[in-house]
Amino acid sequence: MNHPLACRRTARLTATAPAPSIVRLRPWSYLVALILTASFCSCTQPKHDRLRFTHVFDALAGPQHALNVEWVNNRVAAFRKLAPQIGVDLEQCKWDAIDTKCMADFRSGIAHDVVMSSPQLLAKHNLVGDLIDLQPLLNWKREEESEFSWNPMWQTCRLDGKLLGMPMGAHTRVCVYNKEMFRQVGLDPEQPPRTLQELVDYARKLTRDLDGDGKTDVWGLGVYFGPSRATFEISFSPLLWHFGGKAWDEETKQATFACEAGVKAVEFLRDLIYKYKVTPRWALSGTYDDVILRSFLNEKIAIGWGWGSYWIQALEDAGWIDGCSPPTTEARTLRAGIFLTPTSTHSQFVNSWTLSVHTLTAWPDISGQFIQVLLEPNDLLKSPDAGLPSQLSVWQRPEFQTPFFQVWFEAIKTGRPMPPTGHFEELAQSVSTALQEIMVKNTPATTTLQKFQQDYNNRYAGE
Amino acid sequence: MPKRSYSNTAMVRSLRGSEPIAYAFLAPTLLLIAFFLISPMLSGLFMSFNKTSLSGLTRFVGLRNYQFLLSEERFLSNLQLSLLYVVCNLGISLPLAYVSASLLTRKMRGTVFFRSIFLLPWIVAPVVSSLLFRSMVDPAFGPLGMLLEKITGQQHVMLAEPFWAMATIIFHSIWRSLPFMTLFLAAGMAMIPREFYEAAKVDGAGPWKQFCTLTLPLTKIHLLIVLLTITLWTLQDAETVYALTEGGPGYSTEVMALRLFKESFINFDLNRGATLGILLLLVGLAFMISYARITAKEQD
Repeated sequence: MNHPLACRRTARLTATAPAPSIVRLRPWSYLVALILTASFCSCTQPKHDRLRFTHVFDALAGPQHALNVEWVNNRVAAFRKLAPQIGVDLEQCKWDAIDTKCMADFRSGIAHDVVMSSPQLLAKHNLVGDLIDLQPLLNWKREEESEFSWNPMWQTCRLDGKLLGMPMGAHTRVCVYNKEMFRQVGLDPEQPPRTLQELVDYARKLTRDLDGDGKTDVWGLGVYFGPSRATFEISFSPLLWHFGGKAWDEETKQATFACEAGVKAVEFLRDLIYKYKVTPRWALSGTYDDVILRSFLNEKIAIGWGWGSYWIQALEDAGWIDGCSPPTTEARTLRAGIFLTPTSTHSQFVNSWTLSVHTLTAWPDISGQFIQVLLEPNDLLKSPDAGLPSQLSVWQRPEFQTPFFQVWFEAIKTGRPMPPTGHFEELAQSVSTALQEIMVKNTPATTTLQKFQQDYNNRYAGE
Repeated sequence: MPKRSYSNTAMVRSLRGSEPIAYAFLAPTLLLIAFFLISPMLSGLFMSFNKTSLSGLTRFVGLRNYQFLLSEERFLSNLQLSLLYVVCNLGISLPLAYVSASLLTRKMRGTVFFRSIFLLPWIVAPVVSSLLFRSMVDPAFGPLGMLLEKITGQQHVMLAEPFWAMATIIFHSIWRSLPFMTLFLAAGMAMIPREFYEAAKVDGAGPWKQFCTLTLPLTKIHLLIVLLTITLWTLQDAETVYALTEGGPGYSTEVMALRLFKESFINFDLNRGATLGILLLLVGLAFMISYARITAKEQD
């Protein structure tokens, strides 16, 4: 028996060929074709009356995200008032992808106008050449510049005589502590530790087994050691600087993190877990937010090392501080207190988002004007991503004279930026990986650091 | 209607004259394939022979990128981990997929329901499922972490220990691959006539014998496709590994695909990324050829 399909095929072969009929399209298919053609044309046509602002976007940041979006929209509206003939298109990007996107797009000939960038990566941007010098666009007087130049991050923005980014604010880190836990173990909550030794002593007292099951319930000190660049920036670098070392040498353009100070820093960190047993092993995995922010708010750690200024809002939301976000003259600490990381001065890591102009922009002057609108100090205070003020005059306002904000001010003033290497991420990755190997596999600190330093220098020394 | 039939030779003869037209019709497709499939591969190959500085200067370096990687301890570890990832994923999920496929092809109550929910792990976005797994192995409140603690009597920070971190990645991959493998193999098994099994039973063949002599040979083509697909997916999997461990602790879970991602999109070294891509392609090809050979040999 013939298969029905086979019969149909034979019938098609044997039948006389019918006259070719025109394919009939349904009305909606014309509409689809029209929309597709129109959208294709609009994609290929450069929009000469619209400025593009590429900014970071973190939809998972909860209320902070909403505030950031509100700030962007407000600033765009303010700019439209100044230049009603120019529209602004917003391009969103993840915080750790925005710089690479900017560079890759530059190589591919895709233009942006104003972009947010990371100061740690400005040296890489400088080598790639995707950002232009802002000095001629801003045309500032010396007094205007001194408003920003007090911030140690200012040096990071200036490379080879060019100003590649304008800091939106300042982000720095301090130590946060739980005052209630201090009281419970007989420590004075108004006297936080001032040296590394005191920090360890306090942390030992604060590390406790609350239910008597032989397991630690509260860890004295939370320090992040996870597989990300935060380990290098927040945990390792302050200690490296404290012991007198540096991760990268500007003159020889070589990594130097395996120096004596680097070894001391790693040994101090390792001792926190294995010798003093004040830091949990789970600090080796997860994210920086998990290990420091959430663990502190969930009372799993009593002191958190590397508490960022971007988390002031979280403390306020939890009711652990009051009147600090937004800053008021009544700002006070309740359950949580903060203190400067007890390392030597100039050992805090400082950064912030910076605003830059893309090299392929067709509108450099208008981009410069837009940056000035974005930097409006009163409105910047409403953006959590911007962080603490970067303009010195803002710090002189009464709401920033409270003890809480004076600690932050001191931390910024005495802080340090990351080394200006074009291979910063590789450097941070090398150190974080070395640190994890030492912590997890218990390999000797000196040889492991040297091995990773040599690997880095083999590839990138001299840049 | 009278039936007229063409003999094969007559058909071939009549088609021979229209060969140029046939090629003309094929030309757009061939051009598209050349443009979208072959040209990126050639471009990647070309990139792997070059070195571009951050300032954009490109120079030809021959095989130096390959030499660098092949002499590097880290790359050898990346390669080993990639192979381990593929072998463990397939080694565990394939037998399980056959078992679950045989259950799904039986006429039992609830089979339709199970067939639908079986696809759930496959539908969930890999990054989302990775985050779910990360919370499951959390040392403080993750059920898997707590279970492991109950079994071993020690608290394990699973993602901070090289063995458990890799085990988590593999387990996650098995969880994702199993539904796809099961459904594909079940489709193959459903095509085997029941009479074959009945005849085998009459001949005294037990379940294992039936599987070896009937199920396995008759689902060979499905098995080959499943093996190829899952192997290539596993080899190219950077997103779940990144979301789970970022390659840590140290480099202990950094597979080749993740290294490629890091070099290209974090370190912005597209040449080294392209070199890794070519090497990954070669590993994939090696798997493809060996699967095809094994299947062809068994068919002979």
